[in-house]
Amino acid sequence: MVAGRFVGQSVLRREDPRLVSGHGRYVDDVRVPGMVHAAFVRSHVARARIAALDVAAAERLPGVRAVYTARDLEPLIVGPLGATMYLSAPIPSPVALASGDVRYPGQPVALVLADSRYLAEDACELVRLDYDVATPVMDMETAAESEILVHPERGSNVVSQSRRWDDDLELAIRGAPYVVTRTFRQPRQSHTPMEPHGVVASWDRFDGELRIWCTSQRVHEVRATMGRVTGIPEQRIHVVQRDVGGAFGQKGAMRPEEIAVVLAACKAGVAVKWVEDRHENLVAGGHARSDRIAVTMGLDHEGGIIGAELDHLEDAGAYPSLGSVGGLVAMMFPGAYRMGGVNWSTRAVFTNSCGRAPYRGPWNIESLAREQIMDAAAREMGLDPVELRRRNVIARTDMPFTNASGMTYADIDPAAVLAETLRRFDYPEFLEEQSEQRGGGRRIGVGVSLFVEPTALGTGTMLGTEAAHVKVSLAGKVTVALGTSSHGQSIATTMAQIAADELGVDIEDVSVVDGETDITPIGGGTGGSRSGVIGGGATHRAAGHVRDKVLRVAAELMEAAPEDLETDRGRIQVRGTPTRSVSLAQVAHAAYVDTKLLPAGVEPGLEALVRYSTPAITFANACHICVVEILPSGQVEILRYVVVEDCGAMINPMVVHGQISGGVVQGIGGALYERFCYDEDGNPLTTTFMDYLIPTSTEVPFIEISHLNSPARGPGGYKGVGEGGAIGAVPAVRNAISDALGADVTDGVRPCDLFESTPLAGGSSR
Amino acid sequence: MHDGPGELSVTVEVNGQLIHGRVEPRLTLADWLRDDCLLTGTHLGCEHGVCGSCTVLLDDRAVRSCLLLCAQADRCSVTTVEGLASGPDELSPVQRAFMECHGLQCGFCTPGFVVSVTAFLAANPAPTDDEIAEALSGNLCRCTGYQGIIAAVRRAAEHMAEARGEVS
Amino acid sequence: MKPAPFRLHRPDRVAEAIELLSVYGDEAKVLAGGQSLMPLLALRLARFEELVDLNRIGELSGISFDGEELVIGAMTRQADVEVAPEVRKSAPLLARALRYVGHFQIRNRGTVGGSLAHADPAAELPAVAMVLGAVVDVVGPRGARQVPAEELFAERWTTVLDVDELLVSVRIPVMPAEAGFAVEEVARRHGDFAMAGVACALSSGHGRVDRARIALFGVGRTPLLCPLVAKEMEGSLLDELHPAALDELAALATADLDPPDDVHATGSYRRAVAAHLVGRALINSLEELRRA
Repeated sequence: MVAGRFVGQSVLRREDPRLVSGHGRYVDDVRVPGMVHAAFVRSHVARARIAALDVAAAERLPGVRAVYTARDLEPLIVGPLGATMYLSAPIPSPVALASGDVRYPGQPVALVLADSRYLAEDACELVRLDYDVATPVMDMETAAESEILVHPERGSNVVSQSRRWDDDLELAIRGAPYVVTRTFRQPRQSHTPMEPHGVVASWDRFDGELRIWCTSQRVHEVRATMGRVTGIPEQRIHVVQRDVGGAFGQKGAMRPEEIAVVLAACKAGVAVKWVEDRHENLVAGGHARSDRIAVTMGLDHEGGIIGAELDHLEDAGAYPSLGSVGGLVAMMFPGAYRMGGVNWSTRAVFTNSCGRAPYRGPWNIESLAREQIMDAAAREMGLDPVELRRRNVIARTDMPFTNASGMTYADIDPAAVLAETLRRFDYPEFLEEQSEQRGGGRRIGVGVSLFVEPTALGTGTMLGTEAAHVKVSLAGKVTVALGTSSHGQSIATTMAQIAADELGVDIEDVSVVDGETDITPIGGGTGGSRSGVIGGGATHRAAGHVRDKVLRVAAELMEAAPEDLETDRGRIQVRGTPTRSVSLAQVAHAAYVDTKLLPAGVEPGLEALVRYSTPAITFANACHICVVEILPSGQVEILRYVVVEDCGAMINPMVVHGQISGGVVQGIGGALYERFCYDEDGNPLTTTFMDYLIPTSTEVPFIEISHLNSPARGPGGYKGVGEGGAIGAVPAVRNAISDALGADVTDGVRPCDLFESTPLAGGSSR
Repeated sequence: MHDGPGELSVTVEVNGQLIHGRVEPRLTLADWLRDDCLLTGTHLGCEHGVCGSCTVLLDDRAVRSCLLLCAQADRCSVTTVEGLASGPDELSPVQRAFMECHGLQCGFCTPGFVVSVTAFLAANPAPTDDEIAEALSGNLCRCTGYQGIIAAVRRAAEHMAEARGEVS
Repeated sequence: MKPAPFRLHRPDRVAEAIELLSVYGDEAKVLAGGQSLMPLLALRLARFEELVDLNRIGELSGISFDGEELVIGAMTRQADVEVAPEVRKSAPLLARALRYVGHFQIRNRGTVGGSLAHADPAAELPAVAMVLGAVVDVVGPRGARQVPAEELFAERWTTVLDVDELLVSVRIPVMPAEAGFAVEEVARRHGDFAMAGVACALSSGHGRVDRARIALFGVGRTPLLCPLVAKEMEGSLLDELHPAALDELAALATADLDPPDDVHATGSYRRAVAAHLVGRALINSLEELRRA
């Protein structure tokens, strides 16, 4: 076969013609006959008892079909609402509508169904909601000790904690020639996919069929959740999604609002649509980051890392949709360096705020902390930060390598990635320029960040496997049905590339089907940088199974040996003798119709469903270098941004570049712009896009991206690449700013934090 | 001049076709296009005028359709993302460039970008990089990091110059 | 996020609009470009029973110039003002400031009159109108009157206009040939409202500054003129205005400011960066003036 005709090429996306011309099909584009529209009455306060909830006036408004409160929906609920894979995590099940009390601002309290969204919002204003407002828990630092409990029935604000501590290591760190201690924070962020959440649900009471159109990272999770919550047999729940307008982790689990809407559709017996608006999304759609980590690192005279201590604190909000990330923070902290050991304690706490949802590298604070403290240590030692990294970095020759926290890496070469990044960046030349420009009074700094990215996590959970169903039609055309689906990742294109190459057909002859529970294998969906690795692996193997059968059948038809055959553009031919060939359609005809032509022992049919399970985490690795200038106004301008990524074999380099660029810019947002704020009383302050600032085209640099390839062991050698950009950018930007200032930046920064006369910015010694 | 509290009559030329409707005064142009004209390519990403996903051409000028009442488009022409190409199976030069340069991932913001860029290049066929960045800054994208979008604007300018017979 | 119900009035003439405003008083709101009002309505942060849409009133749009005064109709779109040759020639500061107003899609719809009447203290145009000595024409049931821009802004989002009055045009006097201008601002991102900003217009004769107007925006409850700075500068020899003197003037301009903290910046930053911007604006407008 012709290897790599499509895989490895920047094949243009088949998704694009419909998307660029306005013919995408997002959940808000779904219209079902008789459909009514939902809107939510939400809590305006962070913590309160509901003293009165009176919906009578809302119900009387013309055009209103129903107004539901917890009392109406709770009888329909027979199982927990949380995400399947976190059902055993120590987190409370979300509630569809608040009952008795409210625990975060924006928590839904009542649901209106009306003939239009306009009317539904009118009715929401007529619902009388009185509270006995109580003091909320807003500060994660004091939450664990607070007498005020977010969830009184749990008896504590601690979600979970972990600790691994070796006293001898502590002594060694504390007694090291260089001991560096810093505390780093990152602001609370919102994922802000451009398409917010939404759902359309329709319950057919006569047939007992529930249909759901959704915007989700995992349609099979939606079905599993609604089966569990409603008790409706899963095979009678049909979940469909077409285009999804971004997610970044926020659409990994169903929101309580979405569940409430499905329940409302069941109760009302009409189709219901709800599309979250931006205000709702920012306030209550799921938050992220919002953690802090205290780090102490001990180094020897040569800069060797004797060990490190971590104290991680995570704000889980009121109803987190995932368990704590503390464990992964600890396990990934050593990154690409040798360390003598790591002591850690981690803790996640509840606060009366919007719950934490996984966001593109949810554990990212480990890289932020490690890469920033490496720079801080280098500054204290008077050593170049790059040199300190070189002295500690691991290389391909160290593989497999078990890091100081106990995580075993394979198939990465961080030393080579670091070297290649420095080469492309031309570090020595930059240092010369920098000293010249500083002489001229400019505040210019460079920041490096080197990290290992765990991809396709989830072995042993629902995320550990993925399946592809590859079938060849009578005409010799190929359909790939996948349990995973895309919310921007180009899966319809990349999986077609893999299948086309495996089967030796034109890519136009391959269709990819996803996002529909009835016709795709059970799957975990897209998230955790898994679809390329596991979905790609499944497609690769399923197509390979079919190819093997194609060759056996074709060999029989041509009276040749299977090993002498090759496939090319839908024909199977004897290698070197293209005149002796059969078409894939002829093979399919034998497989489905003229089955007597099949060789002995070959079953009829030309399809395969293969479930692929990753044996372990697949590790990718990258290095970012960022150059910033701090303007006199305190604004940060990014002058240069270089990325070298080792994500193994690339299915589609164009798509890989897109993933990296998008991630980097989200990281830039996290470092410089994005900050979801509450006041002390728990009132959200950044509730529109006028105050919650995501980067625009004028804030981003040109991102220079190049690659190394250390293939993974799985089929195709693919590694995940979805999250690294967002992980690596935050420390790269912060280190560059710290370098420009000569002082550590330990939190997200605004211009006012870097203005010449502010204490931090005035700390510059250069 | 005194329209009652009820519905208003509107006549809007949408993508070259005259459409008559009766609308509630508060109905936004974006909602009317999506719900009454079934032109769902115009997307609602914020409904307060920041994200630009709902950008359409109103009398050939790019505007936020979430910040316009449908009634205000009465007697105007509106071009949505669906109306930019020369035929149903065609892509406009800007649409083609977005595809060629990976100027989109999830595609939700894309119609707004495509419409904005179409208007921008009509006014400024050979923009500088700074002008491109500034022109794009009124549209938010969360997926691409803008790299592919910026490249797409350059590419579209080339396509359009070629179509005009200019050497690029 | 949908607006609450309202009645929409679409008058064709100014007189009809005034009549509507007289009838409905506080219950009515004028809808001009809608780029600020519509988000408030959609978020239901503001609600009005009656909206008076000015977009059909042709007489409110247009730019005219009689050699002494530039007259811009209230409903003239910002984008049209930005590129109008007579504006670029006679009021270049206005054209420059408009580049900072939102994004081009916003300026395609947003109007000059709407921006002045909205009176956002962080907006550029009110400050620019003040330093250019602009006067707005106001029409109401009691007749027409003129209000100098420096007396127009009463409070955050509030002008001195009565509820039944309509801002119909803005008049900008031609500046003398020897003049220099600057508008400087710092915003979180391009197109955002300024955390602090300054507009500056200087003119000179015989080597001395004869008129100096500096207005700050984004740092108070209204745009703020700096009369003390004007007083210090007017009459000064251009040659005396060396960098150290300008720094002192910048400090003077911002001495009494006490802007509040918010999520984007501390008050002290706004004040400090305002001083920095005043310094820069003075340098840039003096440079332009010297070239002229």
